[in-house]
Amino acid sequence: MKISGLALRHRHRRMDRRAVQAFAVMHFYLLLPFFFVVAHAAPNHSALSNERVQADVSTRTVEVTSSFTGTEIVVFGAIENMRRKDGEANQYDVVVVVEGVGSPLIMRRKSNIGGLWINTRAVRFDAIPSYYAISSTRPLDEITTSHILNLHAIGFEHISMIPTEIEERRADKKAELEAFKSAIIRLKRKQGLYVQDRFGTVFVGTSLFRASINLPANVPVGPLTARVHLFREGILLDTFESRVRLEREGLGRIVYTFAHGFPLLYGIFTVFIAAGAGWAASTYFSRRAS
Amino acid sequence: MHFYLPIAEMSANIFLFLGMGTVVGFMSGLFGVGGGFLMTPLLILSGIPSAVAVGTQAAQIVASSVSGAIAQWQRGNVDLKLGAILIAGGLLGSVVGVHFVKWLRVIGQFDSAVALSYVTFLGIVGGMMLVESLNTIRKTHAGQQIAARQSGQHNWVHGLPLKMRFHRSKLYISAIPPLLIGILIGFLAAIMGVGGGFVMIPAMIYLLRVPTNVVVGTSLFQIVFVTAATTVLHAIQNQTVDIILALLLMIGGVIGAQFGVAAGARLKGEQLRFLLAAMVILVCLRMAWGLIATPGELYTIGLVFEDS
Repeated sequence: MKISGLALRHRHRRMDRRAVQAFAVMHFYLLLPFFFVVAHAAPNHSALSNERVQADVSTRTVEVTSSFTGTEIVVFGAIENMRRKDGEANQYDVVVVVEGVGSPLIMRRKSNIGGLWINTRAVRFDAIPSYYAISSTRPLDEITTSHILNLHAIGFEHISMIPTEIEERRADKKAELEAFKSAIIRLKRKQGLYVQDRFGTVFVGTSLFRASINLPANVPVGPLTARVHLFREGILLDTFESRVRLEREGLGRIVYTFAHGFPLLYGIFTVFIAAGAGWAASTYFSRRAS
Repeated sequence: MHFYLPIAEMSANIFLFLGMGTVVGFMSGLFGVGGGFLMTPLLILSGIPSAVAVGTQAAQIVASSVSGAIAQWQRGNVDLKLGAILIAGGLLGSVVGVHFVKWLRVIGQFDSAVALSYVTFLGIVGGMMLVESLNTIRKTHAGQQIAARQSGQHNWVHGLPLKMRFHRSKLYISAIPPLLIGILIGFLAAIMGVGGGFVMIPAMIYLLRVPTNVVVGTSLFQIVFVTAATTVLHAIQNQTVDIILALLLMIGGVIGAQFGVAAGARLKGEQLRFLLAAMVILVCLRMAWGLIATPGELYTIGLVFEDS
C-alpha cells in the first residue's frame, strides 16, 4: 500500500498543476454552456418530463493482471417514468459513453526538411480522454443536434479539445487546429482506444437497455467514467454517471510501483537479474560443452 | 500466449519476443556482436515505444555480454587498465547520453535522432566492413597472402600526451584516445540502445592498434559495465526499462547465441564479416527509408513530460 501511495502522489502532483492551468484557461469556455443550458435545456428538463435513467456497469473494478488481453464490460439500465404512446415505436434514445481520465498530450506533425521527414509542428492539448467508447441506439446525428452533443462531449468530434497555448486558438489557426484534432481522433481510433458502435445500445423489452463496451489490452490504466444519456425527440432528458476502476494487479502492479517508486533500486535490480542470467547461461552451456 | 508488459503498457505475445531474442541471439553468437543494433529496431517495429525499446535493450545487452566477458576473462583476454579507461569514458558518455535522450523526448525529436544515428553509424561501419571483407575474399581467391599487423607502425594517436603503458595490449599510448572512444560508446549506448561493440572493435583495432585477441575481451568487459550503468540511468531518468520484456529477450537470446556460436565455427572470418556487413547495411537502409519515404501518417501522439 505504501508503494502504491507513492506512485499515486506522484501522479496527483502532476495533475494538480495542469488542472489549475487548464481551469484558468478554460474559464470562458466553461461558462459558455451554462447560458445555453439555462436558455434552452432547463425548461424541457424539469417542467415537461420526469423520465429518469438508472444504470450500472457489470464490472466496477477491472484488474489489469499479467494475463490481461482486454475485457468487455456491460453497461445496463432502465428508463423510469416512461411515457407510453400507443401504437408508436420506442421514442427513446440512449447513448452510453465510457471514457478515461483526460490527460495532456502533444500532437506532432512531420514535414519534409531537406529530404528527411521530421517533426516540425507541435500542439499541446489539455485533458484529452485517454480512452473513449461510445455506444448508442441510433447514429448520433439522428438522435439530437450537434449543439447538444458539443455541450456534453458526446461523440468523437464533440470531445472538447483545447490547446494549452492561447496563441493556438487564434482564428487564423483554426484550420490547422482542426487538422490536429481530427488527427487525434484518427490515431486514437487506430490504436483501438476510441471506439464507437452506432447501434450498440439495444433495448431489452420496453424500458431495459444494455450496451457492451470493449476495453482493449492497451487501455491506459486509471479510473473510467461511464455516462448514460437519455434522449427523447432530440431532447436530453437525463444523465446517469457511474465509475469503473482499472487497476494493476499482481506482478504488473509490483513491477510498475517498483519502477516508479524506487527507480534507482529497480535499475540495480534489473542489472543484477541480467548479469545473473548471463552468468547462469555461460556456466550451464560451458559445463554441457565440456 | 499473451503477457501484459507493465512498463510498455501493452499486451505482448510471449513467443514473438522469445523468438526475436532467439534470432538476434543467434546472430550475436554467429558474429560475436551484442546484437543491439538489430534488436532495438525490431522492438520499435513490433510496436514497443522507442524509449522503452532503448532502455530495455540496455538491460538485455548486460545479460548477453556478461557470459562472453566471463569466457574472455578466463582466457586472460581482458586488458584491465585499458578497460578501466574505456569504462570511465563510457560512464561519462552514458550520463550525457541519457540526459540527451530525455531532452530529445521533450522536444519530440527522439525517434528521428535514433533513426539518424543508426543510419550514420551503421552506414559508416557497414560500408567499411563490406569493402574490407570483399577485398579479403578477393585476395584469398587470388591466392595472395594477407598482410598481418606490423609492429612499429605509428599514426597520429601516438603523438598525444599522457602516455601510459598497457601491458596486456603491449602498447605505450596516450590515455586520451581510449577515453574519447569510451565517451562515444557510452553516448551511443544511451541513445541507440546498443552495446557499441560494432564501433569500439574497429576503433581499437585501427586507431589504437590493440591486438585482436585482447580487443574482443576488453570491449565486452567495457560493454558490461557501461550498459549496466545505462540501464540504471534509464530506470532513474526515464522509467523506460521493462524488466518483463528484458527477461523474455534474455531467455531467447542466450539460447539463440549457443546455436549461433556453433554455426559461426563453420564459416571463415571474412565470410562472417561480409554477412554481418550486409546485415548492418540492410538495417541502415531500413532506417533510412523510414526517414526519407513519405509517411502514411504525418501526425504522431506524444507524451507530455512534467518539466516540459
